[in-house]
Amino acid sequence: MRFLRNAGSLAGRVTGLFSGLCTGIVAGGLLAVPVGPARAAELDDVVARGELVWAADQEGGGPHVFPDPTDARRMTGFEVELATLLAEELGVKPRFQQGQWDRLPLLLGRTADCVINGIELTPERHRDYFCSRPYFGYSLQLLTRRESPIDDFEKLASPGPAGRWRVGVLTGSAAESVMRSRPDLEVDVIGYDGTIDSLEQVSGGVLDAAVMDDCIFTFYADRFSRLKTVGRPFAGGFYTVLTGRDTPRLSAAIDMALGRLIADGRLKSLYDRWDLAGRQQMLMLRDATEIPPARRRSVWELGRDTLPLLLRAAGMTVLLSCLSFPLAVCIGLAVAVGRMYGPPLIRPLLTGYVEVLRGTPLMLQLYAIFFLLPKIGLALPALVAAVVGLALNYSAYEAEIYRAGLKAVPPGQFEASLALGLSKWQALRHVLVPQAVRIVMPPVTSDFIALFKDTSVCSAITVIELTKRYSVLALSTGRIVELAIVTALLYLAMSWPLAMLSRWFEGQLERPAVGGGTREG
Amino acid sequence: MITVSSLTKSRADVRVLEDVSLAGPEGTVTAVVGPSGSGKSTLLRCLNGLETFDSGGISIAGHSLAAGPHPPTRLERLRRDVGMVFQQFNLFAHLSAIDNIALAPRVVLGLSAAEARDRGLDLLDRVGLRSFAAARPATLSGGQQQRVAIARALAMRPRVMLFDEPTSALDPAMAAEVMDVIVELAGAGQTMVVVTHDHAFARRAASRVVELAAGRIARQGPVAEIL
Repeated sequence: MRFLRNAGSLAGRVTGLFSGLCTGIVAGGLLAVPVGPARAAELDDVVARGELVWAADQEGGGPHVFPDPTDARRMTGFEVELATLLAEELGVKPRFQQGQWDRLPLLLGRTADCVINGIELTPERHRDYFCSRPYFGYSLQLLTRRESPIDDFEKLASPGPAGRWRVGVLTGSAAESVMRSRPDLEVDVIGYDGTIDSLEQVSGGVLDAAVMDDCIFTFYADRFSRLKTVGRPFAGGFYTVLTGRDTPRLSAAIDMALGRLIADGRLKSLYDRWDLAGRQQMLMLRDATEIPPARRRSVWELGRDTLPLLLRAAGMTVLLSCLSFPLAVCIGLAVAVGRMYGPPLIRPLLTGYVEVLRGTPLMLQLYAIFFLLPKIGLALPALVAAVVGLALNYSAYEAEIYRAGLKAVPPGQFEASLALGLSKWQALRHVLVPQAVRIVMPPVTSDFIALFKDTSVCSAITVIELTKRYSVLALSTGRIVELAIVTALLYLAMSWPLAMLSRWFEGQLERPAVGGGTREG
Repeated sequence: MITVSSLTKSRADVRVLEDVSLAGPEGTVTAVVGPSGSGKSTLLRCLNGLETFDSGGISIAGHSLAAGPHPPTRLERLRRDVGMVFQQFNLFAHLSAIDNIALAPRVVLGLSAAEARDRGLDLLDRVGLRSFAAARPATLSGGQQQRVAIARALAMRPRVMLFDEPTSALDPAMAAEVMDVIVELAGAGQTMVVVTHDHAFARRAASRVVELAAGRIARQGPVAEIL
């Protein structure tokens, strides 16, 4: 576990660097500083502290853990109550720790003592963590729009009218691995970071269907009245409380506490209150050992299984960068020229364009394009949305760079053009813009490298690029450090040539051929 | 060819030009002299519409300009017939000498690339710089740059050429190269207005002189009478 804790911290730092965002760097920096206890908190530490810190993702939503509709500062959900009961059994108070769902286990031993958040009991988790006896039985349910031609799970075995069916799942969930393990289906599986996201997208017509734990859809059925369940739940499993391998006494205490809650009916009455009756009976005779732990892959197997996936994800990173950056440059140049030389009426509009796009996070813009535009009837495929989002966001920065570049061209160049009878636009086209483009080459190239790393944000809208692929593979194989190194090398292999290119441009600039140089001497 | 009548211009409550009237007949060279700040350059820049004026009027190469802002298309037509050479040359830094010259004939007059190039090479010949056709401005001396700038203005075959202190940024040897080119143009009958404070140059090149002082015309007449 000590190994894993350090590994998580390294992964955090590496991911932080990749994202290129301040937040990422700050987060990475924080992870690098030992904030928690020097070793994972064992049972005695938890009791001494008087708090059991449990991790979950409130974005995951109901009925598990979600903000109280009447008081958004409070958390509610059946797992909130379960955590409270477990903490009571240990004689301490519960404290909630927020984390991103597919990375919750990485918090173990650092900022959380246990994870309680619809974590499915799988062979991989059994290998890497301590899994408590199951506390909940889930089933996977296929969902689609009411008018959809999918009226049976088997319909997914043959292509739909528009080719392969597009089916949304929660990234890292059992639904994802079940759907991805079915090559017999004519299905493109698309992973989302939030549970509700895929429901929104089915409702908006972007996806054909979604697969998730049935209790989630039951909980949100009122909100998504255009959706229906298809057939019976088709697969299922159990939720488990995760604890670290290096805290055996805490793990055992939680497991036994859970046993007492099941035996004396407190868990059952909890589920009755949450309308989840019937979940608990299934658990009586089971414990975690029924699921055998997965085998740890050798390095060779790891390379064979992950390298092709990582390379393909790297290809996506390159594709996103190379499609969006030229667009960003063109839009940015047009905006810069418009702001400086356009009709006075549109100048404030373009200033607004730049300030809005620079002043709001890229993540939010991608969300708006991908999740909000379908609500007004404009459903863009994820790749298109990602390219458009990156291009718009970066166009604001490019606009500022080109504005500076145009200002750096000596005013005499413009006057000389006009004096020769060129119109304002001809002067821009033949004299000002070509010189500005040369002047700003170094900052523009450096922005390209920045965009190249910012493509990782696109995973928020289901585009799987290198960082996302790394994160998914690292969690499913448990090989966090090895894969981090491979991923970092891939990024370097791609950004190194860009850096060389940037330096070459700077060299070109220093040569006397370009620049202001009309003065004597 | 050039008529300026009662030109007045103020800039931030300061009179820059006051009741300036002059005439430059076809084929003559008019030198505008006077101390720094007397309005010489401003007057010249009014002639091709780089500056506006408050009252009065200008007629030049068959075009006329009135007080206030000028419509862009009118200016573009006027400037095809009125070339200008600047004190700081203002060659296009990203283009070679020949491309500097060929740009406007190509873009404004619609000449083919080959025609524009031929015209440019002839002009480079005329200013003695044919072998520098491919050179970038920054690799040329000041005198060479100014001669390319003259060739660039001539490439539009203007009816009037305006020179704004064309030798002030040059050392004497280079200034002499440029003066020779301008004197040769004068000899060929090119109508020109030259702003300068070099009286020797004015005597050599010009037939008429206008002397400005504090924005007003102090004296004007044939060069022999004034200087």
